[in-house]
Amino acid sequence: MTWKKLISCEFYAIFTNIPLLITVFGGVIIYSFLYPLPYINQIPTEQKIAVINLDHSQLSRTIERMADATPQIKITQQVYNIDQAKASLLSGEITGYLLIPQHFYRDLLLEKSPHLVFAGNASYFLVYGTVIEGLVRSTSTVAAKVKVSRMVMKGDNIALASTQHTPIGMNLKPTFNPSLGYLNYVIPAVFVLILHQTLLIAMGLLTSGQYEDKIRGKPWSELQASYWLVNPVWKILLVRSVLMFVIYLVLLSYYFGYSFEYYGINRLATIPDLMSIIIPFLLSVIFLGSVIGLLIPRKELATLIVLLSSLPLVFSAGFIWPTSNIPTVINIIAQFFPSTPAINGFLRLNQMGDSIENLVGIRAQLWWLVGLYASISFALMTLKQKRLNTLIKPR
Amino acid sequence: MSFLCRSFLHRIKDEWQFICHDAWLKALLFWLPIVLAAIIWGIFSAGIARDLPIGVVDNDNSSVSRALIRNYDASPTLAVVEHFYSKKQASNALKEGSIYAVVIIPHALEKNTLLGKSPQVTAFYNSQFILIGKLVSSALLSAHGTYVAQLETFKDLRNTHGKIEQAIAEALPISYQITPLFNANTHYGQFLVTAIIPAMWQILIIATVVLVLATPLRRTKVEVWLADVNFTEVMIRLIPYVFIFWLQGIIYLSVFYGALHWPMHGSWFLLIFAQLLLVIACVSVATLFFFITLDATRAMSLVAGFAAPAFAFMGITFPTTDMTFLAQLWRALLPISHYINIQIEQVNYANSFVKSSGSFAALITFFSCLYIAKLVLKKRQRLNNVKLKNECVDENIDESIDKKIDTKGDN
Repeated sequence: MTWKKLISCEFYAIFTNIPLLITVFGGVIIYSFLYPLPYINQIPTEQKIAVINLDHSQLSRTIERMADATPQIKITQQVYNIDQAKASLLSGEITGYLLIPQHFYRDLLLEKSPHLVFAGNASYFLVYGTVIEGLVRSTSTVAAKVKVSRMVMKGDNIALASTQHTPIGMNLKPTFNPSLGYLNYVIPAVFVLILHQTLLIAMGLLTSGQYEDKIRGKPWSELQASYWLVNPVWKILLVRSVLMFVIYLVLLSYYFGYSFEYYGINRLATIPDLMSIIIPFLLSVIFLGSVIGLLIPRKELATLIVLLSSLPLVFSAGFIWPTSNIPTVINIIAQFFPSTPAINGFLRLNQMGDSIENLVGIRAQLWWLVGLYASISFALMTLKQKRLNTLIKPR
Repeated sequence: MSFLCRSFLHRIKDEWQFICHDAWLKALLFWLPIVLAAIIWGIFSAGIARDLPIGVVDNDNSSVSRALIRNYDASPTLAVVEHFYSKKQASNALKEGSIYAVVIIPHALEKNTLLGKSPQVTAFYNSQFILIGKLVSSALLSAHGTYVAQLETFKDLRNTHGKIEQAIAEALPISYQITPLFNANTHYGQFLVTAIIPAMWQILIIATVVLVLATPLRRTKVEVWLADVNFTEVMIRLIPYVFIFWLQGIIYLSVFYGALHWPMHGSWFLLIFAQLLLVIACVSVATLFFFITLDATRAMSLVAGFAAPAFAFMGITFPTTDMTFLAQLWRALLPISHYINIQIEQVNYANSFVKSSGSFAALITFFSCLYIAKLVLKKRQRLNNVKLKNECVDENIDESIDKKIDTKGDN
């Protein structure tokens, strides 16, 4: 069979496989809108809280107003004891509360360092963090004011006092994602995983559709002419990987180009730098996909396996939970999936602006995976092809 | 009645035999859920992030700067792993991801502190990894605050004539007590694992039911199978699976809140009842998917599109109240998001049934998928009968069906 014929056969096999097309084109495009949907608002704001003000001094009301003025918090309820606050927390009306104790102002004047009580619903960490952040920020401003006025009372210059109320200041700067937006956090990593998973499914469906057990039920005459049994394995794998690579290069450009632009996500890498990671990434996924396709007896299992692996892969990739706190066994196993080095590499290159020279390790790892999975799929495919051919010949 | 009962038991026995002979099904029902859950638990088994690597650039090299660095290192969340000599080096390490933050201590820190000039220490932390970034920034802030309060207290001791309490009060005019409600030590396992495992459970239930429903199609053609399939019989086949899935749910609950001793305040009865409703809801959705496509692979694609992004929509990591309307709409279409509401309301809040009744009702609403599936099947059968009749105008339909089955059986 000529190269031209083989390519057209492969092309035909891909573009007549409906489930494959749904997964590849439908899946990738639908996910590009569906996945960012929950995070469109980027950061949680205006969390509703209750205030229990037992002090009723002017300062306590200032604290309330300052808390309400932060973007993180909105005071919606004034209650008179913790039980009431707890009740509205349980019914979901509020997500936290601020308690200003009795004699707060008096104790402050007596320099007794009175306590404020902050509480947030830690069933949802992001909500909890937002509430506490808002409360701490607004009250530390009040505390600084108190300090400055004390210094002034002791005879310090007000201009000096307002800059020198703390011995050493701390200036915290969020880097790479200055707005702390959730979209910028989740999407660059998850999009890599979506490409990874849909490509695995596509390759699994394509390969197992040709070599699955069910195929033995087909009429022999039909099978004998099949291009995947006639051609040498290396030729099939080569043509298949090149075609899928081209298709996914287009889809990947859509994600890394249009989608990132649309959602306003950092794109710091140059195209040649990106390509040097993209090539081994896509190839390793293509060969891993064909290994999966050759190992399963029925093609629907490809989707199932990939589906079940998604969440473990996301959480072991290291962008949610630090790798140093994940058991070593899981870390080692995760390195065998191209998604782990790829997510890391793309984030470093495209979102954090690392230079390609620092990514030698990741690039090497991806090429190793290409080699590993290409040879496994070559071996398995040769085996399966031989078996099917011996089944056909005697008749 | 007793005859019916016996035939029912017989059928369950048959189904059990079938499960035992299918390695994939056995895996999906018995050992794979355990392996997956163990992996997820393993990832978060540390529970609280410790010793996150950070770096420092110390331009001062004084006793104050060294004390400050020791304070950062003493924070359980942080570990100062590297001293850099230039900002360039530090920024490279930050970009590389080998450290999560870098603290830059300015020149003449000690001198300016003693002169009361309030020098500024700058910390750049990696906010691309928001969760880790937030942990690092709050740990830095609290370590820094502790040291500064110490410094100030020493300074104030002069004014207060050695009265330490008063000196502290002057350094910290207002102090706070922060309480994380329902998760006292902000344990990430308790927070995420209890949500990730239900999300995987939903995928597992829907996908497995699709596989089970598709088993007759492995040997028979769709047209032949459609001709004499009975919806009720298909549903009866699924009953043992409902119980197996329910058992999986009960097991993971008892591991979390029994073996691992994570706090559980609510009613076990309500929670386990909600799990049964969730299982039936997922089975209903799966049945609908299967009868719409009548093909295992295509049904599985639907499952992938429906259930794979479920975790993002559950509202655990990003709050539901801050989602757009469309996102909330999609969220409402997923059975698991209603179940997770009930789980949190029971485990954390110990709410009464009345307060969670909305979520219970929502789970029951999903049962209607079964009815829709039945209608879909009826329509399919009607179309199929017409098609079969047309195909075999001069042949007897039964004969042709028998033949088809025979040829299949041979292979």
